[in-house]
Amino acid sequence: MGHAAEGGGPSLSTAFRRARGGVVAASFHVVEVELLRSLVGQLLELVREEPADLTGGDGWAAELGLADDAASRPTDPVLLRLFPDGYREDTEAASDFRRFTERGLRDRKAAAAATVLASLATADAADVPAKNREKIRIELDAAESEAWLRTLTDLRLALGTRLGVTDADEDDWLSLDENDPRRHVHDVYDWLGWVQETLVRTLSSALE
Amino acid sequence: MTAPVEIERPEAAEVPVADVPWITIVWNDPVNLMSYVTYVFQAYFAYPKTKAEKLMLDVHEKGKAVVSSGTREEMERDVEAMHSYGLWATLQKAGDRV
Repeated sequence: MGHAAEGGGPSLSTAFRRARGGVVAASFHVVEVELLRSLVGQLLELVREEPADLTGGDGWAAELGLADDAASRPTDPVLLRLFPDGYREDTEAASDFRRFTERGLRDRKAAAAATVLASLATADAADVPAKNREKIRIELDAAESEAWLRTLTDLRLALGTRLGVTDADEDDWLSLDENDPRRHVHDVYDWLGWVQETLVRTLSSALE
Repeated sequence: MTAPVEIERPEAAEVPVADVPWITIVWNDPVNLMSYVTYVFQAYFAYPKTKAEKLMLDVHEKGKAVVSSGTREEMERDVEAMHSYGLWATLQKAGDRV
C-alpha cells in the first residue's frame, strides 16, 4: 500500500481540515487548482469513453450474450486497474461481472469527477481578499468530500499505474534526473497523496 | 387449523448452491493509502476502527484479506463497491484456494 510523503507536500496548499458548518476546507494555489482541473478533466474523459459493446449500438447483442466478451476487458492497464476483474480464476464469471457492473462504475466515477470539477469551478478567486488572491479556498460538504476521496484515488491509480509505482520505491523516484518527466509526474502523484491523506484524516476523525 | 404437514428434509448433498458461502477478498496494491483503505472498511462495512485497521494491515503485510462473506449476490455487491472506492477486490467461494 502507498503512504503519503512524510512532512507533507509542497507548501503552496493548506491541508484539509474541519471547518464551521460541518464542512471540510482546504486552500490551494491557483496553479494547483488549474492542475487539478486538468487532471480531473482527463480522468472524466477516460472513464466516459465506453468500449463499443457497452454502448447502445451493440446493446442487444450484449444482452443476448452474442457480443465479444473478450473485447470488453480493457487492454489499457489504467482502465484495467480502475475496472478490475471481479473474479480471478473464472474468466466467464469475470466477463459477466464486468458486463453487469462496469457501466455503473464508469457512471459513478464520472459523477464523482464532475462533482470535483464543480467544486473547483465555484471556488472563485474573486471571493478572496486581494492580498490572498492566489490562494483559493475549497469547502466541501459530506457528499463532495466523498467524491473528492474517490476521484483523488482514481487519479492516483491512473498516475501510479502509468508510472509503474511499486511498494517502497520512493528512493528510485528521488534519484531520477531533475529533467526526467517521470519525476515531475511522480511529484504530482505524491502531492495528490498528501492532499488525500489530509482529507482522509479529517473525515476519519468523524467516524470514531 | 390444519394439521402439520410432513415435510421432506433435503439430504445434505442437496443443499442449494446459493447456501454455499462466498467471500470478498481485498488485495494489496502499491497506490492506495493505508489510511484510506482503513476509512473504506469503516465507512462501507461499518466495521469498528480496530477491525478496519487489522484488515488493512493484513492486506498490506500478507497481500490480501477476506473482508466479508455471504451469498454470491452480496459479495458481488461488496466487490463492486470496493471497485467504486478504487480498491482491488475479487470474490470467490469460501472453500476455494485463495
